Amino acid sequence: MISFVARRLGWAVVTAWLASVIAFVLFWTVPNVDPSYHLGGAEKGTNETRALATEKYGLDEPLPAQYVRLMEGIFNGDVDCFYSCGSLRSAFIDALPVTISLVGGAGLIAIGLGISLALVCVRHRGQWLDRAILTAATVAYSIPSIVLAAVFWAFLSYKWMIFPEDGYVPLRENPIQWFTHLLLPWIAAALPFAGAYVQVVRASLLDTVDADWVRTARAKGLDEKRLIRRHVLRNGLIPPVNVWGLDFSHAFGGFVLYVEVIFGLPGVGFLTAETLGTFDLPPIVGLAIYLAIVVVLASAIVDVIVAWLDPRLRRPGTAS
Amino acid sequence: MVGRSSAEASVQRLPPARAAKRAPGPWRLALKGFRSDRTAVAFAVLFVLLCAAALAAPLYAEHVAHTTPAANHITERTTIDGKPTDIVSVDGIPIGPTWQSEFFLGADENGRDLMVRILYGARASLQIGFAALLITLTIAIPLALAAGYFRGRTDAVISRLFDVIWSFPALLLGAMLGTAINLRGADIGPIEIKGGTKLIPILVIGLVYIPYIARPLRGQVLALREQRFVEAARALGVRPIRMMASELLPHLWPSILVLSMLLLANAVVLETALSYLGAGVNPPEPSFGTLIADGIENVRISTHLLLAPCVALVLFVLSMSGLAEGLRRALDPHRKLGVDLLRGR
Repeated sequence: MISFVARRLGWAVVTAWLASVIAFVLFWTVPNVDPSYHLGGAEKGTNETRALATEKYGLDEPLPAQYVRLMEGIFNGDVDCFYSCGSLRSAFIDALPVTISLVGGAGLIAIGLGISLALVCVRHRGQWLDRAILTAATVAYSIPSIVLAAVFWAFLSYKWMIFPEDGYVPLRENPIQWFTHLLLPWIAAALPFAGAYVQVVRASLLDTVDADWVRTARAKGLDEKRLIRRHVLRNGLIPPVNVWGLDFSHAFGGFVLYVEVIFGLPGVGFLTAETLGTFDLPPIVGLAIYLAIVVVLASAIVDVIVAWLDPRLRRPGTAS
Repeated sequence: MVGRSSAEASVQRLPPARAAKRAPGPWRLALKGFRSDRTAVAFAVLFVLLCAAALAAPLYAEHVAHTTPAANHITERTTIDGKPTDIVSVDGIPIGPTWQSEFFLGADENGRDLMVRILYGARASLQIGFAALLITLTIAIPLALAAGYFRGRTDAVISRLFDVIWSFPALLLGAMLGTAINLRGADIGPIEIKGGTKLIPILVIGLVYIPYIARPLRGQVLALREQRFVEAARALGVRPIRMMASELLPHLWPSILVLSMLLLANAVVLETALSYLGAGVNPPEPSFGTLIADGIENVRISTHLLLAPCVALVLFVLSMSGLAEGLRRALDPHRKLGVDLLRGR
């Protein structure tokens, strides 16, 4: 187990480093253009701002030296946004709890709905209830969360004012306000995932309930509840758990980008979307790297949890 | 096994008496299964109708709505129930759905015909989706074949490459790439990729989804290469390239078809999110993303600007996912593609 964790974390570090190099090359080596033009405020910049940028990011040095300098800046918290956010590192750390609340809540709703509805499907397999839930799941999967978020916000928040229009209240300050600010974003983000999860869990459980050892367990007189919980669910949930792990880590660079913008939640997605819109290079590269670290770490943690649940995955070669 | 390879064919040629009574091929069986699946056929019909409507956008604009997606009618009037009505009222509120040939779904804040814009937007999104799919397939299929067939070091390099792309959320990667190319495109003198050109989202979406196709295919190739017919072909002296193209690839087509349909739906959704974030299609050009962004921005003026493109997008995505599921039931009855094919997007 320890060697698995070490291998997995090593791979995470390599991936995050690769991401930082790609982001750097992508944005720093714009062909035919002096990076000091973009770093010095693009068309709004003057010769002074450009000279300042050249000095700050060492733009007259060779590229590897510039890379090292930028990375130091990103991790020391020296990188600022031109327009709004101030020090990027502290802005990112302030924004992280919002996004974790959003992703965590949406994940719980999606997985809870996925498992419970799939269990209903399996119990009533082939009957109308099974078909009805499957149809609903297909429809839910086909409504992109950007549409749900936009329509929820436009009608329930903006037009009819049932829910707060924007903003975020920390959980410690006021749990009820925290909940009402996050409820719509949670549902909007979770429904399409829940639709996919019902189908994935149902298919996986159906593969399991027909297994020989389930029949044996039933034959030896195990009651149905215990059978489902101890035998079917524990094995049938292994493929879905892998999906959840990937989706959970991807969420930090996925739906949070637009869900937070639409609902005005000041999380990392909001920060990223705003920065991307300004073409402000150092914070864009910085955010790409911060987010890459969050995504890579989240997926490493999930993989370790999955390996702890299913020892077969600890063998070498399955680390990804 | 679906598909028929030359080695199998040459084995079957041996007893000539059998040739007359050939069993229906796997594709024919799949077609039969698909046809008897009423849900799948309904989704296929819906998909074809929607695609036809999107492709006919210029015809609709010219002959029915008598306008273009970019033409402003902000100061003009139209006739509703015989009464002339301002297209955009004095306080800036555009007319809602008229259910007539002109301004069928109403106008937007600039007095542009919303139905025409949605049809053009759907066409743009479909073009982007199909073109991106083409890029993904042309890169992913050879890589998957090479990784699965050669194994060893080739596989290690290619699979690690997939893992790196796979580790990053498609939307974040796409938004970063889209922003970078937009930035670069604006400045490369003679080969200028203009902002708003569809090439940017096509390239971005096409590259981002490579591992989504390549990983499951590689798994199938790994299993296929252990089968007897591959051994037989190798014994006959078939070279690797030929082996991949004419022995292994035919067995992959059913999976490729199912995956492509799923990916097309994902690509359309990703385009929407990218364009909403300003890293896809750029504003005056209609696409699902720009139309929805426009609708959110102008929701205080009129809600039909948001609802109409949202409903259109959901119809498109629903038809694609429904069709993908139907294709899977017909082509992949034993779930070789794994139960975990659907994931969040």
